[in-house]
Amino acid sequence: MSKIEKALNKARSAGLLKVVPPAEPKPGVESSPQAVSSARAIVPRPEQRLISSGAIARMREKTLLGKNVLAENRIIYPEQEENATVRAFREIRTKILQKTRGANCTIMVTSVTGQGGCSFVAMNLGAAFAFDAGKTALLVDCNFRNPSLQTTVLPENARGLTDYLEHPGMDVAEIIHAVGIERLRIIPAGGRREIPAEYFTSTRMKELLDDITRRYAERFIILDAPPMTETADTRILAELCDYAVLVAPYGKVTETQISACAKALGEKKLLGVVLNNEPRPPHIQWRKLFLNPFGILWRNRSRRNASK
Amino acid sequence: MKLNPDQFIPVLATEAFHHRKAVVAIFIAVNLLTLTLALLWPKGYTASTTILVEDKKIIQPLMQGAAVTTDVADRSRLARDVIFGRKIMNQILEDTGWLKDNPSPSEQEKIINNLIRQTKITNTGRDLIRIEYKDADPERAFKTAKKYADLFIAESLNAKAAESQAAFDFIDQQTEAYHAKLTKAEEQLKEFRSANLDARPGSDADIGTRLSALQLRIEQSTQDLQEAETKKKSIEKQLSGEAEVATVLSREGQYRARIGELQSQLETLRLNYHDTYPDIIRIKHQIEDLNEAIAEDRKQREEAKAAGRVTIDDSVINNPMYQQLKRDLSQVKITIDTLTARIAEARRELQMEVDLGKRVHTGEADLAELTRDYQVNRDIYQDLLRRRESARVSMNLDKEKQGLNIKIQEPAVLPLHPSGIRFIHFILGGIVLGIGIPFGLLYAKVEMNRRVNAGWAITEKCKLPLLAEVPHLWSPTEVQIVRRELAWQYLAIVGAMAVVVAVASLHVMKTMML
Repeated sequence: MSKIEKALNKARSAGLLKVVPPAEPKPGVESSPQAVSSARAIVPRPEQRLISSGAIARMREKTLLGKNVLAENRIIYPEQEENATVRAFREIRTKILQKTRGANCTIMVTSVTGQGGCSFVAMNLGAAFAFDAGKTALLVDCNFRNPSLQTTVLPENARGLTDYLEHPGMDVAEIIHAVGIERLRIIPAGGRREIPAEYFTSTRMKELLDDITRRYAERFIILDAPPMTETADTRILAELCDYAVLVAPYGKVTETQISACAKALGEKKLLGVVLNNEPRPPHIQWRKLFLNPFGILWRNRSRRNASK
Repeated sequence: MKLNPDQFIPVLATEAFHHRKAVVAIFIAVNLLTLTLALLWPKGYTASTTILVEDKKIIQPLMQGAAVTTDVADRSRLARDVIFGRKIMNQILEDTGWLKDNPSPSEQEKIINNLIRQTKITNTGRDLIRIEYKDADPERAFKTAKKYADLFIAESLNAKAAESQAAFDFIDQQTEAYHAKLTKAEEQLKEFRSANLDARPGSDADIGTRLSALQLRIEQSTQDLQEAETKKKSIEKQLSGEAEVATVLSREGQYRARIGELQSQLETLRLNYHDTYPDIIRIKHQIEDLNEAIAEDRKQREEAKAAGRVTIDDSVINNPMYQQLKRDLSQVKITIDTLTARIAEARRELQMEVDLGKRVHTGEADLAELTRDYQVNRDIYQDLLRRRESARVSMNLDKEKQGLNIKIQEPAVLPLHPSGIRFIHFILGGIVLGIGIPFGLLYAKVEMNRRVNAGWAITEKCKLPLLAEVPHLWSPTEVQIVRRELAWQYLAIVGAMAVVVAVASLHVMKTMML
């Protein structure tokens, strides 16, 4: 029996780590109330750190999503080695890790303007962190007005952050959902759409962030924040986070806007700017296209007929 | 935004992909448009001919120095005026078959205007005129260009002959006029000469010499006259004072001297004798007689004086001084008279000379003027005579068309290929424009766009760390859509180009058949 297994057993017997089996009535909920409360109260102990990698290995996943589903939802997966987008996200992840020296942290992802692809970047950044078998990612959807994570990978009525902030008795475990991507968990925006900015400044919000950050040393918390220019909530949220990533949509914002947003976030917090959605052509078999364009058109038609 | 080539080329490519529909649409539209234009563009055949025109006009060397001709710099304009004149244009209409359908005058006017629009006359060199004519019919283009040149040359030659004739006529007329003038001047000179014989060159100096001699004479005579006058005065003075007194005193003196002598004798006798001595008595008587004679003499003189009569004195003849003075006086008087007469004569002569001098001066001025007129007229007349002869030669030369200074340098040829923008140029231009316009527009957009569309803008302009440039992540459905779209666009381009090539080949074949 290895040292790690011993430690795991010890932790299990102490009730610090409890992995919920998938058959349980609350799918996606990952830890017991006791564990949460204890984690909320105290700083993680050294042994807790030690056991986390083992715990990751035992994280219960619901049925993993297929590659096609991921691709359709524009979520990256490790097998897309040659894809430039995947390379870009790996690069972002590497740069963040260099900056944090490998330690986990809360990263807020915000866009300069609306429709800037902030949720896309946040989701895929989370996915990129989760590529690494030794790391996990938790995505928090703070964009209440326009929540996007819920519609893509989670059901509409899934409980989320707003529900948690509204109901003091609610357990954190209830709002953390597994989405079918290995090592990636999501806290959706929740049912309520209108929530005042004061919620972000509340102790409960701060406690929540502390709690989820400290639970696992290898867990990176990514906040999908509303666009900078649309609401002031983002700046309040930035105060709670360790770092911020600014998303600039390609060809939609000016240098002045970017500079203004960067200044608002502060030099220390800002990890960097991501220029998103560069319209590069997809990977297509150009030769085939030029030599036999009818083949492509015909194949598509036959495929559509087959799907019918 | 100022971009380097290595910065904007990727941006341009990205933008082109982004706006692929517009790019493809513009490409196809431009190609089809140029194809239509190429088909509709009127085809023209250009025939051209070059005419060499010598610069020298016939009147120029003839009139060199004597008259200044106007310089016409723009020869093509002159040619245009000649060619587009009604005379030549009508001839062209007739000869090139425009009048076959018997067009109305207004239609003819239209045809002429059209011809003028299609004709280009330019100066290709210093003495070269190029006439170009463009027509849809190559045969007619050639004919018209040739006709233009022929008619222009004929017209120019006629004009030149007429010009040299006119030049000769003019010079001839001028020669005649000057001849008349010269004859008149000669006549006047002759008349003047015969009228003023003394008015010849040098008489002025003679008169001067004579005048000064006369003046000298007058001066000398005047001086002599004055001297004589003075002499006369002094003689008269002497004569009036001395001569008369001396004469009277001599008779009384004789009497008194006798009385003195007798008195002394009486004195002497008285010393020795008494008064009764006879001698004494006689002497006393004698003295008395003498006193009586003196008194008598005085009395006579007084009477003579009172009567105004010159008493003839016995002693006058005996006064030589008086005689001498009298003689001198009369001599001086004669001299005075002579001198006075001489001065008067000299004055008269002087006056005559002065009058003559005046007359000579007036005559000289007249003579100079007449001579000048004569000389000028003679010079011009001689010059004109010479010119008239060369003008006659030139005129004869032109009459026999020997002095050709206008000729066809390059004759018109039948044009085999249409000129101007050709069909193939349109097609190639369409392809170039079809690519150039959309990319130009994209370039303008990239240049003018202030929005960030490249990662370096963030690092260089905003001075912010760039985490990554994330390309669009294509979902499989999107990829399929894009692939289909690209296939359609590709087919559209291929189709459009096929249409262009097909139409172009048909057109070329049609042209070849014709």
